[in-house]
Amino acid sequence: MTLRRPLLAAPLAVAFLLAATPALAHRLKLFLATEGGEIAGRAYFVGGGRPEGVDVVFKDAAGVEVHHERTDAQGEFRWRPPAPAAWTVVVNAGDGHFVEESLAADRFGGEAATAPVVAASIAPAKTPDAGSTPACAALPGDFDARVARSVDDALARRLRPLMEAQDQAEARIRFNDVMGGVGMIVGLAGVGLWATSRRRRRSDEAPRP
Amino acid sequence: MAHIPDGVLSAPVLIGGAALAATGLALGLARLDERDIPKTAILAAVFFVVSLFAVPVGPSSVHLLLGGLIGIVLGVRAFPAIFVGLLLQAVLFGFGGLTSLGVDVVDMAAPGVIFAALARPILERAAPATAGAVAALVGAFSVAGTAAAMATALALSAADYLPSLKIVVLTQAPLALVEAVITGFVVAYLARVKPEALGRLPTAEAAS
Repeated sequence: MTLRRPLLAAPLAVAFLLAATPALAHRLKLFLATEGGEIAGRAYFVGGGRPEGVDVVFKDAAGVEVHHERTDAQGEFRWRPPAPAAWTVVVNAGDGHFVEESLAADRFGGEAATAPVVAASIAPAKTPDAGSTPACAALPGDFDARVARSVDDALARRLRPLMEAQDQAEARIRFNDVMGGVGMIVGLAGVGLWATSRRRRRSDEAPRP
Repeated sequence: MAHIPDGVLSAPVLIGGAALAATGLALGLARLDERDIPKTAILAAVFFVVSLFAVPVGPSSVHLLLGGLIGIVLGVRAFPAIFVGLLLQAVLFGFGGLTSLGVDVVDMAAPGVIFAALARPILERAAPATAGAVAALVGAFSVAGTAAAMATALALSAADYLPSLKIVVLTQAPLALVEAVITGFVVAYLARVKPEALGRLPTAEAAS
């Protein structure tokens, strides 16, 4: 039995060292948000780095490829879908990194309920369709829908940094998880040793009368 | 890039990789006796921890693999060690998919096992410094082998993966260098302090 104590300490030492640094693991992630009827997304490697000029595919609910887009230098992209519906976005960095995220129709907020919006303008001052009605007259017919839309947009804008932070926090390697994995390996080694020792004891006992 | 997620590779590649990994696992487990379990577990733990943490290099990021070192110390037992490490990474952190586990195991274990087997005659006899130099080469070649195996798996799955492989090669070159240095130093150290870990006969001073 050669249980090397310095070597056993090695993985623990490495884990402690790495947990102290902000280094993160390496995996392609995709963050999606809707802003005024647009799908805005950002692809990033959890370990750092952004996939640049990488193909982004938008698929509709039936899985049909509808649109292609490329990421910019920050790994970001945006696209206005023809209608607020369920979309699936696939980012393929081409070197084995691949991520797929879905966006439910209700993420488009109030717009999902209304007809397809061509240009969701938030500023109500410059809406020509309301021009026929005098300024202080009755409210335009779609007033409620417009308010709902503005509130949704404002909320989406405000919540985006929070959701991005949450997304990144979820991907962070936690020291406890790493230690759990190391513990699992130690346990497996224990099981293996127990199994082999049982096998040997049985073969030792067998020849005896 | 060493952890290929689900949904990238085609079914024949996944099945082929799983079959090769199962063969490697069977061979490794058959040769895993009581004395080998601690060092196999230790290297599995080192692999599990070390390949979780990545540093950004250019447009992507890389992490250590240590395939060469594991191949030198464990031989074909590298398969079970790397399998356990990768399985835990997939389950705990979502690194690499479960369906592509076989391909990932082969990509990371096979080059180290093969290059270490080729270098074994030298490693068993040479002076510690020479053994370290040879091990450094094994470490570098293992990284190249892993990158090549990964590229092959991707290229076999879909032809349009090929262009960005240039990036893969560019980011893996610095990694090969770092792994060469680490593998070289560890093996040179083991050759002096713990020669039987490399399959060498213990020298008089080390045995005492």
